[in-house]
Amino acid sequence: MKKRNYNSKFTKKQFIVLIVCISTGFMIGYSYNLAKDEVKMNSNYLEQEESYREELISQQERNKELTEELIALQTKRREYEKDFAENEEEYEHLLKEAENLRLLLGEIPAHGEGIRVTLKDGEYNPNSTNPNEYIVHESHVFNVINELKVSGAEAISINGQRLKSNSYIRCNGPVITIDGKQYPAPFIIEAVGDQETLISALKITGGVFDQLLNDRIVVTIEENDYIQMPSINDE
Amino acid sequence: MWLPFLGLLLGLALGLLTDIQIPVVYENYLSIAVLAALDTIFGGIRANLQQVYDDKVFLSGFFFNIALAAGLAFLGVHLGVDLYLAAIFAFGVRLFQNIAVIRRILITKWEERHIKKGENTV
Repeated sequence: MKKRNYNSKFTKKQFIVLIVCISTGFMIGYSYNLAKDEVKMNSNYLEQEESYREELISQQERNKELTEELIALQTKRREYEKDFAENEEEYEHLLKEAENLRLLLGEIPAHGEGIRVTLKDGEYNPNSTNPNEYIVHESHVFNVINELKVSGAEAISINGQRLKSNSYIRCNGPVITIDGKQYPAPFIIEAVGDQETLISALKITGGVFDQLLNDRIVVTIEENDYIQMPSINDE
Repeated sequence: MWLPFLGLLLGLALGLLTDIQIPVVYENYLSIAVLAALDTIFGGIRANLQQVYDDKVFLSGFFFNIALAAGLAFLGVHLGVDLYLAAIFAFGVRLFQNIAVIRRILITKWEERHIKKGENTV
């Protein structure tokens, strides 16, 4: 009886207390677990943050490197610019040279002081049966042109036809063909350049002038203060 | 006497060993439920000490408090008002009150015993 009473007391009161305590304990334990997970998650976030920070730092370092590179390159560029400024005179010189070369090529119109050489066939000589002995051949023209070129003529024209660097001159009976156009005698060769130099070059003893006279060709050399020649592209 | 502690330990072990994941949204409910459970337990201890303990009140209080707290939190979440704070406040205040009462009762009991002891020795 006593025992049963004790049992009933246990079943009624203690059992309920036990159940309540177990459920409370369960909830507390579970909450603890959850909180632990949360802490872990937070630490995950921290790790992520750490990695991002490291990435940021590395990026900043890269930025710094690139900036240094940029500065180095800018310094280099400044040096180049300084160089350029120093070399500008040289460039001007080169430009002038290019201009001269263009003049020689005939790509731009030329004008200025120069000389005019006229080659005329010699007087008819009844004693001679060979007309070749007194007419102007292309070789004479060649000689004159070569001499003029060598002595610094900027531009040369024959009977108004500007000579190119690759012009061809051919003897075609009584006429000569220059770049496909035929010209009869007399041949007027104009050259832009320093008059004194050109004339002295032509008239040098044993030079072109003498040879032409030797071949009984009438040669006249005039100085001309202003000669204008079109560019080859104008034709 | 040791049965409640045994139960508490058993529950703790179970809770620590379970590996069920619940959504983060429901964590509020759990914290309130824990508070309600603690409140009920301390209320039970107080009632026991004051000799007004009743099984029905204890058990119904335990589950009803938990359900009410969870319901409040649920309502709060859906209304956009932090209603679970009300539950936490109420349970917190009651928890402290209960503990204070328990402490006072225990102190008076201890003093009574001490006085009795003193009378005996004297």
